[in-house]
Formats: sequence, structure tokens, C-alpha cells
Amino acid sequence: MTTTVADPARPERPSAVTTRQLARSTAARQRRSARIKLWAGAVCTALVALPVALASLLPLPDPNAQDLSRRRLAPFTDGHLFGTDQLGRDLLSRLLHGGQVSLSVGILAVIVSGLIGIAAGSTAGYFGGWVDAVVSRFLEAQLALPLLMMLLLVVALFGPSVTVITCVIAVAQWPEVARLTRSLVLVEREKPYVAAARLLGMRSWSVLARHIVPNIVRPASLVILLLLAQAVLLESALSFLGAGPQRPFATWGRIISDGQDYITTSWWLVTLPGLVIALLVVGVNLLGDGLRDRVRTTKPTKLAKGA
Amino acid sequence: MSKYLARRLGQSLLTVFLTISTVFVLVRLAPGDPASAYAGPTATSDDLARIREQFGLDKPLISQYGIFLRDLLTGDLGTSYSFHSSALDVVLDRMPYTITLSVAAIAVTVAVAVPLGVWMARRADTSRELGANVLTIAGQSMPDFWTGVMLLTVFAVLLPVLPASGFTSWSGLILPTVTIAVLQLALISRLVRREMTTALASPYITVARSRGVSERALTWRYALANSAVPLVTAVGTRFAALLNGVVVVEVVFGWPGVGSLVVRALETRDYPLIQATVLVTATLAILVQLLVDLAYPLLDPRVRLGKAA
Repeated sequence: MTTTVADPARPERPSAVTTRQLARSTAARQRRSARIKLWAGAVCTALVALPVALASLLPLPDPNAQDLSRRRLAPFTDGHLFGTDQLGRDLLSRLLHGGQVSLSVGILAVIVSGLIGIAAGSTAGYFGGWVDAVVSRFLEAQLALPLLMMLLLVVALFGPSVTVITCVIAVAQWPEVARLTRSLVLVEREKPYVAAARLLGMRSWSVLARHIVPNIVRPASLVILLLLAQAVLLESALSFLGAGPQRPFATWGRIISDGQDYITTSWWLVTLPGLVIALLVVGVNLLGDGLRDRVRTTKPTKLAKGA
Repeated sequence: MSKYLARRLGQSLLTVFLTISTVFVLVRLAPGDPASAYAGPTATSDDLARIREQFGLDKPLISQYGIFLRDLLTGDLGTSYSFHSSALDVVLDRMPYTITLSVAAIAVTVAVAVPLGVWMARRADTSRELGANVLTIAGQSMPDFWTGVMLLTVFAVLLPVLPASGFTSWSGLILPTVTIAVLQLALISRLVRREMTTALASPYITVARSRGVSERALTWRYALANSAVPLVTAVGTRFAALLNGVVVVEVVFGWPGVGSLVVRALETRDYPLIQATVLVTATLAILVQLLVDLAYPLLDPRVRLGKAA
């Protein structure tokens, strides 16, 4: 990833192009943008994800311990870094513990949607014909529908458990993965090694599973970070609308909707949780974006279409 | 052309039909009883039985479905349990508000994102372009309900210049529109930037430049015209996603549209109302998609419908 192509200490260069000009070339600038995005993204993500992951190890009050005499304390008072909420619970502790639920729902949902998406997309791309027609119709239909209403409906009907919400988000996201996988497999199946595998008498299923899928998992996984960002936002929107998990801890969207009534007197109850979500999602988005840009500048032909 | 139109219409109808059938089954598979939600906690079992009979909920699922489809053909989506009037009418009454908000949001997004994307393409890979890019990503990363609440607090509570909720005057449209546009900006501006970068590097631009066409005309008339098809496609395919944002934003701002209606219908398990809402919004989203597809030949004379795809 270093941008200096030639060693600047060496006085003589065989070319009239100076290092300075090279550093200002489009490719170098693109790599620099991608690198800045990756770094900024990693820092933002770590700022939220690390404390969330370590929440139970940090010296924090119990997230559900109420203390009605210490209601709505402003940030930085009495050792409450983010202040306390309307029931005297420590806001930071609630955010970090709720974040564990939000993040694990997001990560699980992305894994599930990735598995469904890769299975459906690669089957459709490889076999074509009526399989492709059915999968593609499903994709189009789902992308054309305002899905949030359906998701709310499912959660309202089956209860806001972590399992239901994870499945709901996974179902909402699989079309993205499937579409990308399908387009990658369409390119891959025309390659000589696939023909060779067929000539050797391998069954279609094992050609697909053992030769094609391993080759497309890497490019397909590029969308995963972008999907994770969407999953976190979707979960928070669902829990804001009252369709989020409530046990063991309230998640971010719920904390914001609870704090909404006190917005004029206690600004931190809504502002801080929102900033935490935004910081995490910005970080994940920048990471995903930087990664995509980097791959695109090194291998322009292969991924430019799908991503 | 007419063959293409017929096929697309058929597909759209199939999608709507499958959607509404899924919702019908889903609603009835789930635990929870609309009769008890309707009658309240004091109802006796006789009351519940009477209510079930009145709503036709005592019949087997398959005959309920048959009755539902028969009524659907005549445009009857049942009577809303909570509004005591035609569910379709209740939804259609609210629809203009949702459409107004969606159209305003799309208009504002495009009006900001297109110049921004053009600017970004002309300054591709500079520090300032990176800054603008990061800012739009930040906008895309903020939860829409949070952006809404924050805007409300600043512009309606702290500096009371705009109305806080509902549709009292046209100025009530500003905050919800901005909230949705902030979310959509990144996607559209990035698309315009990508298309414009490709277009500005193409040979036809070099030819036009060598003929002495001004840079301004090159950008806006020559290059941007070629970005119209992907732009319209993106707006069309994003319309469904936009409606999702509208649901959340309507709840935050107390906007009297379909989004806040469906949240209420879910709470009361108002089956006919839920079905009517999903049917109407799905039809709207699919109709928009269809119109976008039909608009291609107008935007790009090279496109012939039904030939390519």
C-alpha cells in the first residue's frame, strides 16, 4: 500500500517522471482516499465496538440498577460519564450493554443473510433456467416492496425476540448478497477451470460448491460491512418503533424512543445514544467503502460492475 | 412494445398478488386474537364469539382466503375494525400525505445530490471531494428517527421557527423532507459522481471540447444527459426503500400518512387495515418502478423496450 514507487533517496531515476508527480497521479490519490477512509473507519468502529465488547469488564454500574433519587443527572456528574436516565440508570452502561444486543443481532443477521444470499445467488447463476427465473423474480419483488411495513408486521405478530428480529433483518438483506453472488457466478462459470472440472466428471453440485463458491466468497464478502451498517440501522429503527428486543437489555433505538419525552430538559438522553449509533455506522460504512475502493483500484475489471 | 407492457403488467400483478397473500397468511398464522384486541379486556367469551362471527374470523382459513380474494376483485378490502369504515378508504385518505412527503423528499434529494455529484466528479480524488464524500456517508449513517428528533428539537423547540408535528401548513413539510433527504443523499450523489467521472473521460467529450464547447456545456449538457438513465433507475428502485424511511419519519413528526397509520393498525391487530395498507403501498411502489422502466426510451432514444432484457 505504499505510494512511493521509487526510492526518493536515490538521486538518479531512469524516468523524467518525478516522485512528486507520481504522488499526485490519479491512482495514487485514489489509494490515498481509500487508505484515509479505512483508517478513519477503523478508528470510529473501534471507538464504539471495543467498549461495547468489553462492557461487562469495565467498571460500570449495573445497566438496570434504578436509583430514583438520581434521575436525569447531566453527563459528568457523580461519576456518570453520560449522565443518568429517567429512572436513574447509568446511561453509558445501558448504551454499552444494549449495544451488545444491537451488534450481535446485526452480525448474526448479516451472517444468515450472507448464507441465504450466497446459496440462492450461486444456484441461480450456475444453473440458470427456471431456477434463475424463480430466484430473480423473488429478488425483484422484494426489492420493489416497502419492506419495513412487512418487517414491523412480522415482529408485531411473532413478538420482539432476538431470534425473530435477526431473521427479519436477514430476510430483508439477502437480496443484496444474492444479486451480487449471481452476477459473480455468471462470470465465473464460463472459466476454463469449471469446464475442466466438468470434463473430469464432477457433478454440477460439487463443481459449484467446491470450485466456484470458494472463488466468489471473497469478492462477495465485500458487501458484508455495508450490510452490517444497514442491519444496525434497521434494528435501531425497529426498536424505535417499539418492535425491538427488550430482554436482557433495551437496545439503542428503544433508549432513544424512551428518552424522547425528556428531550427539552435532558438533551443527553436522545443525543448521546444517537451519536453512538451514528459513530459506529459511519465507521463501518467507511471501512466497507474504503475496502471496496481499494479492491476496485487494484482489480478494476472484476468488481466494478457488481458492487 | 405492447407485448413488453403486457408482460411487465403481468409480473407486477403477480408480485402484488403474492405480497397480499403472504400478508394474509402471516397475519392469521401469528398468535394473538383481533377479537379480544377489539373487544377489550372485559369481554366475555360470548362477546368474542359474536365478534369473530361478525368479522368472519370463525370460518376456516381457506374459506376466509376465498372470501378475501372475491372481495378483492370488487375492490372491497373489508371494514377496518378500529375506524369502522372501509379499510381501503381509510388508507386512500391518508395516501396523499405520504405521496406529498415522498415526492418532496425525492425532489430535494435530487436537487442537492445532482449538483453535488457533478462537483465531486470534477474534483475527483481531491481532499475536498473526500471531505464531501465522508459527509454524505455520515448523513447516510445517522438513524433517520434520531435525525428527525434532533431537527425537531433544534428548529421547533429551541428556535421555534417551524411547526413541530402534523400537517398544519406547508412549512410542516420542511423538517420531514430534510430528514429523509439527508439519508438518501449519499447514494444518489455517489451514483452521479461515478457516472459523470466515466462520462467526462469518454472520447465524445474530448471531441466536443476540441470543437470549442464550453466546459459548462460539456458538464451539464453533454455528460449529465448520459447519466439520466442510471439516475432515474436509482430513484425508481430506491422508491421502496424511501417509503421505509417515510414510515419512520411519519411516526416521529406525527405526519398523518400511511406510515403512522400502519403502526397504529399493527397495535390494534386491525387485519383489514393492515392488508389494505400493504396492498396500496406495494402497488404504489411497483407502479413507480413500472413508470421508470417505461421512461427509458424518453431519456435515451437508443433504448428499445422489450428488446434488450
